[in-house]
Amino acid sequence: MMIHCENLRFTYPAESFQLAIEAFSVEKGESVALIGPSGCGKTTLMNLLSGILSPDGGQVIVNGVVVNELPMAARQRFRLGTIGLVPQNFELLDYLTIRENILVPCRVSSQLRLTGEIEARCGDLAERAGIAAHLDKFPRQLSQGERQRAALCRGLVTSPPLLLADEPTGNLDPENQDKIVSLLLGEAARIGASALMITHDPVLLPRFDRVVEVMKLRQKGGAA
Amino acid sequence: MNTRGVLFLGLRYLQRNRAKTLLLVAAFTLVWLLPAGIGLIVAKVESQLRARAGGTPLLLGQAGSPLELVFNGIYFTKPQVATLPLREVDAVAETGLADVIPIYARYAAGGHRIVGTTLDYFDFRQLEIAVGRNLLRLGECVVGASVAERNGLKAGDAVISTPETLFDLAGVYPLKMTVVGVLAPSASPDDEAIFVDLKTAWIIEGLGHGHDEAEDLGEEEKIAPTIPGDTAVRLNASVLEYNEITPGNAERFHFHGDVSDYPVTAAIILPPDARNQALIKGRYTKAGGLQLVSPAAEMDELFATVFSVQRFVLTLLLAIGIATVAIGALVFLLSYRLREDEFRHLRHLGADLATLRALVAFEAGFVILASLIASGIGMALIHTIAPVIIREMMG
Repeated sequence: MMIHCENLRFTYPAESFQLAIEAFSVEKGESVALIGPSGCGKTTLMNLLSGILSPDGGQVIVNGVVVNELPMAARQRFRLGTIGLVPQNFELLDYLTIRENILVPCRVSSQLRLTGEIEARCGDLAERAGIAAHLDKFPRQLSQGERQRAALCRGLVTSPPLLLADEPTGNLDPENQDKIVSLLLGEAARIGASALMITHDPVLLPRFDRVVEVMKLRQKGGAA
Repeated sequence: MNTRGVLFLGLRYLQRNRAKTLLLVAAFTLVWLLPAGIGLIVAKVESQLRARAGGTPLLLGQAGSPLELVFNGIYFTKPQVATLPLREVDAVAETGLADVIPIYARYAAGGHRIVGTTLDYFDFRQLEIAVGRNLLRLGECVVGASVAERNGLKAGDAVISTPETLFDLAGVYPLKMTVVGVLAPSASPDDEAIFVDLKTAWIIEGLGHGHDEAEDLGEEEKIAPTIPGDTAVRLNASVLEYNEITPGNAERFHFHGDVSDYPVTAAIILPPDARNQALIKGRYTKAGGLQLVSPAAEMDELFATVFSVQRFVLTLLLAIGIATVAIGALVFLLSYRLREDEFRHLRHLGADLATLRALVAFEAGFVILASLIASGIGMALIHTIAPVIIREMMG
């Protein structure tokens, strides 16, 4: 099992929002779409899974490791080695070229080294994402869709066993949405990774192995 | 922490924000460079002025500003200092208490001071002729090493004195002088001067001159009756004044009036011992219309003032420096607040706190280090051009 959560509880300080999930699991190699209305806790759940947030109670087990019991620095290292994050707003650094942005996980990590193999993978991914011609450009020179594809390449470049994508198609036109999802699921399948993606677009749902409604997950408190 | 990654990200950020980086480096450079540069220039000026002043026991001049007298007599600036007649210089020599070297530093050629003096001056300053020979005749000059280098002069070339009053027909005319020697460099104001004999300096002033012989008129050209046997000469505008002294016309140069009335701007007094020095000082303390100054004492007084001004300026610079550093720190802090998203992104990607702190420290350290290096280069530059700055300051 790639992800397993039990009795997960989280409350933002000074806010009434509460997320309580009794159990939630994702199998290895499985692709899951997380859906639900705005504010239902999709992003919060994803941040709990990636270790960006710590739960008030319960356990988050990713790839056999209890993430919420790791100290902060270890959690950062674990995230770098295990999870490929694809945020909604790209989170590209404007002073780096697209190539440098894709390779940035190797720059900030003490465990990942920038090898020729990773650089070659960067080129391959960019080729498949259709942004190979833009590798030496800066983010502001690219369209929204191209930037999102660059962010996706960054999430994939280290070949992580788990991909977490927070609404990566939110700001894109249908053509770009299709490209992103194809790339995400195709690459996940190629490297045998599990993929969890938040989306609002019902057109994309049939492409996933499973669709989980976060509201139902919270109400029923059961595994989907 | 990935040190290479930190360096890479830090350099990329600074490179992409090079305008901000350069502005910060420039601001910090000025903070370091201004006080250090002022200190360096003041120290160099002080050492140059003091060395020269310390080697000149006493200076005699017309009453007035003692500092102007010192600057004229030993640095050859302040050409408008009041003059004293040569008679006063001779009077000191006649006492037998000291050797005396007259200085007449009033005119210039191509921006270099023409210093009228005697051959004793070269011995006193231990100046060596590197090329050519010393002064022998009227109209000859020996140029300082810098003058020769800057103007490409060598023995046999000529320099022309700068006319003082272009539209005054009775004023100072330019005199073409032959360079007979070039002095060896001495790292002193002598390098910047053109030395001539005192009489040549007076010829530049128009006190001595040479012209065509007046022509005798024959009896048939006389238009008025004269006493038989008297001679009549033609003295009109066609009488040619020489503007160059050559072996052919040197004999025709002459001075009108009493030479002891002719001016000098200063006289270097060289008493052989402290006793004679005290005697001369005593004699000139109450001398009406003249002043006898000790250049070293004048420099002490000057630098006491300079240092108090320098302290004031450095205090101001310190305040400005603190303000600049504070503004620089504020720029960094604001920049980090603006970059909160970036740091959050990096943390999401797995950067630990140590990596982010190292990134911030590297960027700030780079700016400070770059400004220190730029200051070092600036100091080296100031060190190199200090003689030019000092020359310009001395006027």
